Amino acid sequence: MIPNRSYRSGQQSHPMRQSLTIFTAALLMLMAFATSAYAHDVTPGDAGYIQEIFGVHIISFIYLGAKHMMTGYDHILFLLGVVFFLYHMKDVAIYVSLFAIGHSVTMLLGVWFGWGINAYIIDAIIGLSVIYKALDNLGTFQKWFGFQPNTKAATLIFGLFHGTGLASKILEYEIAEDGLLANLLAFNVGVEVGQLLALFVILIVMGYWRRSPNFMRQASVANIIMVGLGVLLTYQQIAGYIAST
Amino acid sequence: MYNAPKPNIKDLPTKAKLHRSSIIAGIGAVFIGVCVYLPAEYGTDPTGVGNIFGLTEMGEIKQQLAAEAAADELLHGGDESSSLMNDILGLFVSTAHAQEAWTDAITLTLAPGEFTEIKATMEEGATMTYAWSATGGRINFDLHAHAGGEDVTYERGRGQTSGEGSFETPFAGEHGWFWRNRDDEAVTVTLQLRGAYSEIVRSE
Repeated sequence: MIPNRSYRSGQQSHPMRQSLTIFTAALLMLMAFATSAYAHDVTPGDAGYIQEIFGVHIISFIYLGAKHMMTGYDHILFLLGVVFFLYHMKDVAIYVSLFAIGHSVTMLLGVWFGWGINAYIIDAIIGLSVIYKALDNLGTFQKWFGFQPNTKAATLIFGLFHGTGLASKILEYEIAEDGLLANLLAFNVGVEVGQLLALFVILIVMGYWRRSPNFMRQASVANIIMVGLGVLLTYQQIAGYIAST
Repeated sequence: MYNAPKPNIKDLPTKAKLHRSSIIAGIGAVFIGVCVYLPAEYGTDPTGVGNIFGLTEMGEIKQQLAAEAAADELLHGGDESSSLMNDILGLFVSTAHAQEAWTDAITLTLAPGEFTEIKATMEEGATMTYAWSATGGRINFDLHAHAGGEDVTYERGRGQTSGEGSFETPFAGEHGWFWRNRDDEAVTVTLQLRGAYSEIVRSE
């Protein structure tokens, strides 16, 4: 249901086509000179672009950061969970800031120090964060354990994990050393811009929905669905991890 | 049942406010789509805004890479006719007899965005030693080889001004450099070579 993000797949080796190999080799040997096929393992897309450039590209990296956030359904899903029951702008600002601080810290440190954490493991934890927040919204922890874990602390801590996930993706991009810090900060600004754009849309939709008299009843269904999506995300990452080892 | 109370209707944004926000979001989405997304992904810039921010260049590079990846796929898929055409267009580089121990010295100049390949025909297990320098700007390169379904990357770099080293070929074929200028100025690369190769080919 969810397309694999292209940078996960990395450089692709060309499939061996045994039947054509002999034919190709013979043809090549007939020719005295080289083919001008630029078969230098072309990486297309965002990663390919980043691997071609060097030096400071502020606007480009803001764009890439924003795009990364807005197309990162796991981050958006968590963000939706966080603001699901928040409608005072002050609360929204506090929680979104906590999430932003959390993911910025680990994103910057992770790239700067090159934390090579397996992307599947960290994305599985991000999937768990969606499950956690949806269960939290449903009041499950109060029901099961008789207490409410601090929601602000949870947002910050899961923010730290989301940032580690962002860092591992950025490391796969192989940003040039030349201009790394400026480009990284620009990417981070872009991530926050993307988050605010997504938040704007989420708040409009939630605004209409909250006015509906059925909101509280539908909210439980929505959060149960969100638990399911979180389970799916986590499952996909664990399956991916097992397949990759 | 929830960890939050039912929202008080008086605290919620009014319908009129939500309608207004929706219209702003719609306008914003169209603006971003036309002025940011199209240039940055497809290199299409109807308004000129993408060009100002340097996003059109990103889109052009992405399109170029996508086309190269597609051409590559086609080539490795066995359609050799296109490479045959390229081979006919391939130019032999004039080789100057080098000073000192170098066998060949090759000079090439690339305008911004231009690229070329310099390849040496080598047997399996042969060794090549090289040194190169770039003037006028910085250059991206990919030192690699591919033949008959095999490929190897010896070294890749970007924004470099010099390099030296040697490599030993794991298989017979064309081994050499893909050069691309992603700098803002024309770059001249001087490449010096020696080793067990029979021919040097430059292709545009």
